[in-house]
Amino acid sequence: MSTHHHQKEDFLFKYIFSTDHKMISKQFLITGFLMGFIGLAMSTLFRLQLGWPGESFKIVDLLLGSWAENGVIAPDKYLSLVTMHGTIMVFFMLTAGLSGTFSNLLIPLQIGARDMASGFLNMLSYWFFFISSIIMLISLFVEGGAASAGWTIYPPLSALPQAIPGSGLGMTLWLIAMAIFIVSSLLGSLNYIVTVLNLRTKGMSMTKLPLTIWAFFLTAVIGVVSFPVLLSAALLLVFDRSFGTSFYLSDIYVGGQVLEHSGGSPILFEHLFWFLGHPEVYIVLLPALGITSEIISTMSRKPIFGYRAMIGSMMAIAFLSCIVWGHHMFVTGMNPFLGAVFTFTTLLIAIPSAVKVFNYLTTLWKGNIKFSPAVLFSIGLVSTFITGGVTGLVLGDSALDINVHDTYFVVGHFHIVMGLSAIFGMFAGVYHWFPKIFGRMMNNKLGYLHFWLTIVCSYGIFFPMHFLGLAGVPRRYYTNSEFPLFDNMIDINQFISTFAIIAFFAQLIFFFNFVYSALKGPKAPQNPWKGNALEWTAPVEHIHGNWYGEIPTVYRWPYDYSKVDENGEYISGDDYIPQNVPLGENEKEETH
Amino acid sequence: MTTVVIENSNYKEELRQKTSKPLLWIALISIIMFFSGLTSAVIVSQGGGGFINIKLPFAFTISTIIIVLSSATFYYGLFSIKKGKIEAAKISISLTLLLGLLFILSQFLGWSNLYQKGVYAVGNQSTQQSSYLYLLTVLHVAHLIGGLISLLVVLVKTIKGKYSSTNFLGVQVSITYWHFLGGLWIYLFLFLKFIIV
Repeated sequence: MSTHHHQKEDFLFKYIFSTDHKMISKQFLITGFLMGFIGLAMSTLFRLQLGWPGESFKIVDLLLGSWAENGVIAPDKYLSLVTMHGTIMVFFMLTAGLSGTFSNLLIPLQIGARDMASGFLNMLSYWFFFISSIIMLISLFVEGGAASAGWTIYPPLSALPQAIPGSGLGMTLWLIAMAIFIVSSLLGSLNYIVTVLNLRTKGMSMTKLPLTIWAFFLTAVIGVVSFPVLLSAALLLVFDRSFGTSFYLSDIYVGGQVLEHSGGSPILFEHLFWFLGHPEVYIVLLPALGITSEIISTMSRKPIFGYRAMIGSMMAIAFLSCIVWGHHMFVTGMNPFLGAVFTFTTLLIAIPSAVKVFNYLTTLWKGNIKFSPAVLFSIGLVSTFITGGVTGLVLGDSALDINVHDTYFVVGHFHIVMGLSAIFGMFAGVYHWFPKIFGRMMNNKLGYLHFWLTIVCSYGIFFPMHFLGLAGVPRRYYTNSEFPLFDNMIDINQFISTFAIIAFFAQLIFFFNFVYSALKGPKAPQNPWKGNALEWTAPVEHIHGNWYGEIPTVYRWPYDYSKVDENGEYISGDDYIPQNVPLGENEKEETH
Repeated sequence: MTTVVIENSNYKEELRQKTSKPLLWIALISIIMFFSGLTSAVIVSQGGGGFINIKLPFAFTISTIIIVLSSATFYYGLFSIKKGKIEAAKISISLTLLLGLLFILSQFLGWSNLYQKGVYAVGNQSTQQSSYLYLLTVLHVAHLIGGLISLLVVLVKTIKGKYSSTNFLGVQVSITYWHFLGGLWIYLFLFLKFIIV
């Protein structure tokens, strides 16, 4: 038995170099949101160009300066904006921002641990992320501009510094930032896995864990398996860029000159990149799915439907995510038989995904749903997961994918299934656990406004993109006004851009609510949503060590909502029974 | 504001006992994936052709013998600590450190041999095959330097009498990593011998 003494922490170690998982969670959240805001602003700016090609905008002139002479974004800088938007959103916002925030906040609190396995590594993980964010932002301000080869940084654009302006220093900084980011991610994952496996409180078996923890755990496992492969890809790229090797480069002309590379192949990079790239989709998505499970069950006041099926399906998704990368490469001249294998493994993912959707809906079904902004965003996630998942079936099938490869169909698909689902999960998590993070409540009315504007705009932006894609409009093009074929698409682009602008302003409502509530919101009670998981048994104020006395012991799974006895009366007198409440005399444990 | 701080020595020690080894094991998985990525890359590149027959330097065979020996001496060091024979442990851990340094020396000799044969790591005259040869071995040495640092820490702590027959977690963590490096080298050596050259 350990005792804990009281000690005052100074500012530096409490707020800056904190080893407390809750403070590190806040650091990830705030940095992630700041990066997300920058990524969002970039997309709004380049949507202006896509909706009204060549038109001058004062705001563009004001914000982008030399990148946009006379208020029109320069073509090469458009590519920089697209690249940096993708990079920031996928890695900095939805990987570090989402997983870093909620894994850090909830793992120790929900499994009943005083902190992570290694507070020091946890702190390092945040600071590596922070340094990586700064380097990525600095790359916007170097000669030639930021990286411009797309977030997938395919060679040769990324391998030859002289290829395009963004292939120079901007690309080098991109690689340095990502290498540091990978270290940060690995340190975080190490901690999450070991903490879940080794530091669970008494009684907390793996099948009594909240589904959030299962999701964070499996996310970390995928990260440990796939991020090192991206590191190896980046390393080979650095050698090709700087030391004259030929891993990804073959005989190639730049500006009429033959470069002295031979034998390499950019397709090798695609293999290595997508071995991370596809699992990355689930690194982004699984935490959001876990958060949704927890919120939907809590706010429907019903046990989660199919608890073990949920765990099984997440395991299946995690496993399958590592053997489907080839579906990003159907047009690289891949052997059709191999293409068929990747099609098969890809389509298999539909099964566990459908299990999850079915379970969400059956949990909501006839529930006594408390419509908080968090549950609305969770339901929003279920919606986007279905919509984006259905088009995933199209893209997973090589015969269909080849027709719409590199078109807006793909952009629409992955923004809905990955981008929107993950960000909806993140918003849901912030609204739900805000009282735990800041000890204050967010404003619900602003939350509802934020949700409805966001979901309407989201579909307004990404749904029409499928039609653009089916019509053959390629992604990443600076403008489509040069091609008479696409003349009749301009209205759709204006429609999309209009919704993008509204969506941008809708997020300002959220940021206002976030900052105002963190500072001035009403004080939160200990268990505002009447939740069962252990985080709600910890005091509202943050203490390093999480509980004043002993860590609670766990006696039941976390989804004993609306549990009644044989007379139809609530067993506990209320519609929830926290995990640390022992089973009653005649009470049967849920076998779920 | 007063806060509860987990500075209690019991808590810290319990945490160390529970988490040190698992943290290492997960880190090893990520290192395995890193090298898997690179060796898979070799196989993909090989499909493009252009790989020729290169004689692997004999120094790399010596490296293999040295690293296997070093695992044995380190194991004897841990065994001695467990039996309370600290003097024997000091000698075997020092020997392990020396063998580790000799391993790096033998790698240098190997690279030098390759260089003299016109097999270059980088630059215009390098090929994919030659670059991979250097890259895989250099990256292994980079990881081995981490192992040497941990060996040095273990040696200093052994000399200072920090370990005993009941307290040797640090040695166990270090030896696990060292054995892993040995295993990784044997994998790379076989890979170089039978796949790359």
